[in-house]
Amino acid sequence: MDVRAQMSMVFHLDKCIGCHTCSIACKNIWTDRKGTEYMWWNNVETKPGTGYPTAWEDQEKYHGGWVVEDGNLHLRSTSKTQTVFNIFHNPHQPSMDDYYEPWTYDYQHLFNAPEGPDQPTAVPLSMVTGDLIQIKAGPNWDDDMGGSPVYAENDPNLAKLNPEQRAQMFAVQRLMFFYLPRICNHCLNPACVASCPSGALHKRGEDGIVLVDQKRCRGWRACIAACPYKKMYYNWQTGKSEKCILCYPRLETGQAPACFHSCVGRIRYLGVVLYDAERIREVAGLPQDELIEAQRSLILDPHDPAVMAAARHNGVHDAVVESAQKSPTYRFVKDWKIALPLHAEYRTLPMLFYVPPMAPVMAQKTGSTVDNISDDLFHDIDEARAPIEYMASMFGAGNSGKVRYALRKQKAVRWYRRALTVGDVDMATAERMLREADCSPAEADAIYRLTSLCTFEDRFVIPPMHREQAVEMLEDPLAHKQGVGFGFMEGPRRGL
Amino acid sequence: MTFKLLLHRIGPAFYIPLIFIAGPIVAHAQEAVDFFRGNCTSCHTIGGGRLTGPDLKDVTQKKDRAWLVQFLQSPQAMIDKGDPYALKLKEEARDVVMPNINGMTPALAELLLTMIEAESKLPKSQFAGLQISDRPFTQHDIELGKALFMGDKRLANGGPPCVTCHTFNGAGGFGGGHLGPDLSRAYERLQGRKAMGAWLYAPATPTMSLTFSKKALKAEEILPLLALFEDTARSGAEDNRTGLAGFFAMGFLVAILLLALFAVIWKARFRAVRDPLVQMSARKVLGGRS
Repeated sequence: MDVRAQMSMVFHLDKCIGCHTCSIACKNIWTDRKGTEYMWWNNVETKPGTGYPTAWEDQEKYHGGWVVEDGNLHLRSTSKTQTVFNIFHNPHQPSMDDYYEPWTYDYQHLFNAPEGPDQPTAVPLSMVTGDLIQIKAGPNWDDDMGGSPVYAENDPNLAKLNPEQRAQMFAVQRLMFFYLPRICNHCLNPACVASCPSGALHKRGEDGIVLVDQKRCRGWRACIAACPYKKMYYNWQTGKSEKCILCYPRLETGQAPACFHSCVGRIRYLGVVLYDAERIREVAGLPQDELIEAQRSLILDPHDPAVMAAARHNGVHDAVVESAQKSPTYRFVKDWKIALPLHAEYRTLPMLFYVPPMAPVMAQKTGSTVDNISDDLFHDIDEARAPIEYMASMFGAGNSGKVRYALRKQKAVRWYRRALTVGDVDMATAERMLREADCSPAEADAIYRLTSLCTFEDRFVIPPMHREQAVEMLEDPLAHKQGVGFGFMEGPRRGL
Repeated sequence: MTFKLLLHRIGPAFYIPLIFIAGPIVAHAQEAVDFFRGNCTSCHTIGGGRLTGPDLKDVTQKKDRAWLVQFLQSPQAMIDKGDPYALKLKEEARDVVMPNINGMTPALAELLLTMIEAESKLPKSQFAGLQISDRPFTQHDIELGKALFMGDKRLANGGPPCVTCHTFNGAGGFGGGHLGPDLSRAYERLQGRKAMGAWLYAPATPTMSLTFSKKALKAEEILPLLALFEDTARSGAEDNRTGLAGFFAMGFLVAILLLALFAVIWKARFRAVRDPLVQMSARKVLGGRS
């Protein structure tokens, strides 16, 4: 057992209102520099939709992630040999058009325009060339299903549905959509790290944050093709790649990352989990329908004395283990099993988990009343406006059982709380639902509290980062004793 | 940087042969014979008539030895001095001045003159020159010459074919070599059949003599080559420019073909996602309407 610590995240999609505050917070801090205008380390997509960059989930086009061939894991985009031949031209790169050409407006014209019969307008200008442009797309162009006949209908996740299901999804009276906020998944088996010819990408030992060393990056862009989530970005100004850094400078000072901190829907949870690094290779190569369960099994119980001892033996600080015991991520993913990884079939073992959203209830008209309670209390999970196969394509690696389990438990908790607080449904039914959803009243209460009444401290359980110990993984701090600090640049000497 | 390095490495292969100058030191009478064969026969005969330079038969009786020795040291110096006989020789040779011969010492000059004197007395000197048939060239000769030039037919002694370094007007699509001079008008330049024949028999330039001294052309090879050069010269051809143009045209064509090949091999390469998506949907919508 090789126990390591990982900062792991949960996004509760049922709470996301798609306000993009997270994206803006991130943009303002990290990507408002020249060359990064088009980057959105955090972005929010509308589903169904093609997202950003367009159709990033279509790995037939983008060749991201891993595949298993003859029992071996291979990067889909490159290999050691191919890297040599493609070193000056890495194929499968999204073009600027696939992201979007960043633009601003000529606001000055509003003030400077000569007096005329019409109101002056501010024309869009490219932030890359400075020229007047025709805006064709944006990082969230299909927001709230804008441009559905193009973008929503080409969502790669719809491939699993039959034509009838597809048609139903886009029928006006059944229309539904939800938001999918995305950041770097800080994967356990990151394809970007594996693909880098310069060895510039690394996964931090102490917290598993995946970073690009800006000094070692040579801009070969292999990572951009390799990352199946397209969360690696190429800075055209510096000629280096950049990515979400999970605001590690904020984490190191005990603050939540900017996107987490600013989230108005409070959908984001952050905490340490302990995992078994020894089994990564084995788990990443399992058959697709076993991936979700196997990835879950990688995460270890931080209360287990054996795990705690192994963690201590591996140099994980006791404070980190203690923090892992309070981790909200652990409760969502392991205890309650209602948070699922996005596209586990890419086999990168993403460490960002999503609580799948409840689709709107399909009401039935019986006589003159509209009834939204059926005899089969869970009926609307399978009869939901979004077919379960669609959700399973995203969160279940094609395995709808896992998604159904998560949705049923959420539904049961709702009914339980409704019986408790509103009282218009009877408690016996609610308790029956809890039993059927594999949930105890105590668990339902805990889910309810962490979902609805969560405080800042509940959502973000950030361990002390112990940088002073983390650095020991790389070098001996005592070797540099007297070499740093606020002392003299040169030793003191007598005389002038 | 890699390209520069490569140039650095292969560069000497081109200039080392050029700066290499054969300068044998001759001490014995037998070596005078060898020296004459290696250095003089491309322009002179003994009793074989005039080539570029005069026939040397009985040269020692025409002019005194001291003058000849002096002349051999540096023909250009004698001309510059305004020596009337030297000027006359220059005129006879149509302004071709005998070059300074490397390794020509007064002692060697004496040895050579003695050897020429002895050879002049023989009924037929070994240096009477290559006897090239005077028969008129036939079309067959020209074709054979071209085959030899282009390397379609190998040279009997294993020398490299002319096209390796030379070109001529009519050398075909790839234009031949450009390391040596263009031979389209060599027949005029080397003053016709006899002189050029002698030149081909014992080429005098450092590069040619180095290449062909041990792999000399045979008389039956020289004749077709002469026929070819005579034919080219008679047709009034300019230097082979078409060859060069053809070469570039060929390169252009091959480049286009390669690009077409790449386009086929990497047909499924990543080009764009969003734009085709929009185009496809637009076609669907517009198609439904019309």
